[in-house]
Amino acid sequence: MKNKGLRIAEYLVTLLVIVTMNFFLPRLMPGDPFLHLSGDAGQEIVTFTKEQQEYFAAYYGLDRPLPEQYFRYLTGLTRGDLGFSYYYKDDVAAIILRRLPWTLLMVTAATLLSLILGIVLGSYSAWRRESWQDKATYLFMIIFSEIPAFLLGIMFLTLFAAALGLFPLSGGMTHFAGYTGWEKVKDILHHAALPVITLSLARSGGIFLLVRNTLTTVLGKDYMLTARAKGLTKRRIRYRHAMKNALLPLVTRVALQLGGMVGGAVLVENVFAYPGLGRLMRDAVFVRDYPLLQGIFLVLAFGVLAANLLADLFYRTLDPRTREGELHGKQEPDNGEQEGSSHVLA
Amino acid sequence: MSILDVNKLGVIYKPAGQHVQALEDVSFSLTAGETLGIIGESGSGKTTLALALMGLLGKKEQLEGKVVYAGAELLSLEESRRHTYRWKHIAMVFQNSLEVLNPVLNVGEQVAEPLARHLDLKGRELEARVEELLYLVGLERSWKTAYPHQLSGGMRQRVLLAMALSCRPELLLVDEPTTSLDPIARREIVELLESLQREYGFSLVLISHDLACISRLTRRLLVLYGGRIVEAGLTEEIVEDPLHPYTRGLINASPNYFAFRDLWGIPGEPAGGGAAGCAFASRCVQSQEGCHAETPALQHLSPSRQVACRRGGIMTMLAASGLCKEYHLKKRTLKAVNGIDLEVKHGEVLGLVGETGSGKSTVAQILGRMVKPSAGQIIFQGKPFNGELTRREKGIQLVMQDPFASTSHRFTVEQTLREPLEINKVGGREERQERVLETLTRVQLPADDKFLNRYCFELSGGQRQRLAIARALVMKPALLLADEITSMLDPSTQANLMRLLKGLQNEEGFAMLFITHDLDLARKIADRIMVMQYGAVVEQGSSHRIFTQPCCCHTKDLLAAAFGHSH
Repeated sequence: MKNKGLRIAEYLVTLLVIVTMNFFLPRLMPGDPFLHLSGDAGQEIVTFTKEQQEYFAAYYGLDRPLPEQYFRYLTGLTRGDLGFSYYYKDDVAAIILRRLPWTLLMVTAATLLSLILGIVLGSYSAWRRESWQDKATYLFMIIFSEIPAFLLGIMFLTLFAAALGLFPLSGGMTHFAGYTGWEKVKDILHHAALPVITLSLARSGGIFLLVRNTLTTVLGKDYMLTARAKGLTKRRIRYRHAMKNALLPLVTRVALQLGGMVGGAVLVENVFAYPGLGRLMRDAVFVRDYPLLQGIFLVLAFGVLAANLLADLFYRTLDPRTREGELHGKQEPDNGEQEGSSHVLA
Repeated sequence: MSILDVNKLGVIYKPAGQHVQALEDVSFSLTAGETLGIIGESGSGKTTLALALMGLLGKKEQLEGKVVYAGAELLSLEESRRHTYRWKHIAMVFQNSLEVLNPVLNVGEQVAEPLARHLDLKGRELEARVEELLYLVGLERSWKTAYPHQLSGGMRQRVLLAMALSCRPELLLVDEPTTSLDPIARREIVELLESLQREYGFSLVLISHDLACISRLTRRLLVLYGGRIVEAGLTEEIVEDPLHPYTRGLINASPNYFAFRDLWGIPGEPAGGGAAGCAFASRCVQSQEGCHAETPALQHLSPSRQVACRRGGIMTMLAASGLCKEYHLKKRTLKAVNGIDLEVKHGEVLGLVGETGSGKSTVAQILGRMVKPSAGQIIFQGKPFNGELTRREKGIQLVMQDPFASTSHRFTVEQTLREPLEINKVGGREERQERVLETLTRVQLPADDKFLNRYCFELSGGQRQRLAIARALVMKPALLLADEITSMLDPSTQANLMRLLKGLQNEEGFAMLFITHDLDLARKIADRIMVMQYGAVVEQGSSHRIFTQPCCCHTKDLLAAAFGHSH
């Protein structure tokens, strides 16, 4: 068992690597923030003169050598300063904060929904292993999890929004409608429905498979026979004895999946023109808004990393075998997944 | 009154279209408070039997027969009704493994579960009962909040026991309670089981490899092989005198029962059940062709003993009764052998021990037909003793103390080995040659022309004694008389020779009358021991009993003299 200090150091190093990549990645892209300071794709493009470009570069400090820029970026970060957007002419932190709730809403809702879907169908399948119901569920889940999220999104968009008109085509809420209270909540949920369903369906396959497999393994364990012999109720055997064991690996799985979930969210937001960070990121990439890009990357990566850390700690208290500070730990848990590795944006 | 009646119970597993008969035709009954042991190798169906009694089989397995518990037939019962019998009436202590307890639930909860379910205990009352149970099995109440991985193997066994006893079952099934425990924990668990059984008076079915544990805790015993009962009777009697070759093999292979002897397992691999014929036939040293064809039924050999064997259990190879040998000297009559009864069973090593002059060798000489008994009757393989019977193949052969005297130094190795075959007109020229070479290899002597043509006087003592054994074995004897065969050899040669002989005996299953005054040696090799003094047998019994609990004073004297401490 690793000690706590080492584990924290591990997370710090990971964070530093991410910050560094954040800094260099946008600068590796071809182009320059000042080639076009205004204009969306396809619109008229205002081009700057050579003098203007140099002026802006000097103004934002982009004419300095890279190491110096990097150092200034780092010192800024330690002060909590994410920088100033070239394009939006606003504080990066403020822009991100405005968009963050939308993405948070979508990722949280999709995580919960995919969990529910995965657990319910996974346990249904495991308890009917090898039956036609199991096979049908398996096929259905595999198909949906293999279709890329954005493709699924486009399918849903054309079918349910465009053709059937059941859901709005784009956006996070109806603007200028002046909804308040319950009406507003309903409006937001109505807009979020399709993106959330898309994302959940795309991500629940992994959870389904995990639940199905771990539960099948658990059902074959000695202690399940013990539980049956004790004449316990079916409900207790299933939920207290089997599920508690089977769901433990899910905690880490959900955290590990969060990276993929965020990646999926970026794509899905763009399909549904949803006003979250994903869409903001696309715009920032378009105009090479380095500080904004760095800010978004950082926030997303930090979020995923924090979730991993949380899962790590949570798992420890959940599984008695890894709980520290007790009599004597004898064995490692049999799923080796809880070692902290982090998936950043896919 | 019996509380459990098992009648022709059969269990068939069907993994992927196969047909595996795990249990077949198992019948027994158990009265209230009675203790029953079940032994058998892995895969013999012991655990399957326990699971069937618990009503835990039947979903994927096909069940036959009846299990009647207190008037109710369990196998045909609805799952919902069967629930009410589990744990409350019939509980089980499962085999101790890391995962026999749920790893994420604490000990207290797992002990409390059946109490809440079957006895509707709640709150304080439930807590108190759990603590009482833990106390009962010798665990402090603080272990209530511990998780299974924090327990040692012995503590886990105690928790399992507390859990099983929680609803005060009338029938307790215990599967391998002592395997995987160290000697101290093992003793504690056995003592605990014993005192709990006495206190609560539940009927006990104990499944174990551990014969010491079985003999201590059970009154009756079932021996399972290939899913069938091959022997049933009183534990004490079976362990002292097994009647089925399989049971004897099992007992001989138990280190905790035969502490002094070399360990010899039963040769061959356990057979699965379901096939025609006796399942043990392919490993049995006394099997005949018929054994492979028809399945033997369990029959009473005595009021308390049942054995399933076509040949009536382990056969008696040789039985002598009232054997006497008198030598008439000038003025008095010397009774060298004074009316002894003797029985050698198929495939066993009978150690005949005693002081010099106690008449051991005279017995060997009588049985080897070298001297005529003054009185008495000898039956060999069911027929009256005569030269025809003993001389031929599968007869009696004798190996004597002094190889230099027993093999002619003027013969070559080949002549020595060929001679008995020629005298008895066994086989043709080539077959004899083959037998000679084969036998030489078996006693680990070189089987080449150079060695075959060597004269006996050229051989060392160890080689010459092995040659003497080979001379006896070339006739494929059913009974080998070995009279002090190692007394002239150095310890290393003796060790090699004894291992060789015992190995051959275990493999081919001939019986052996091993005569020696060396108790260390007898203790290492013999299954049964006969102690002689003044031409009479003063004590006989299983090697285990004689060496641990001798009754006769003379035996005690002998043991004290040999091992330096009194038993």
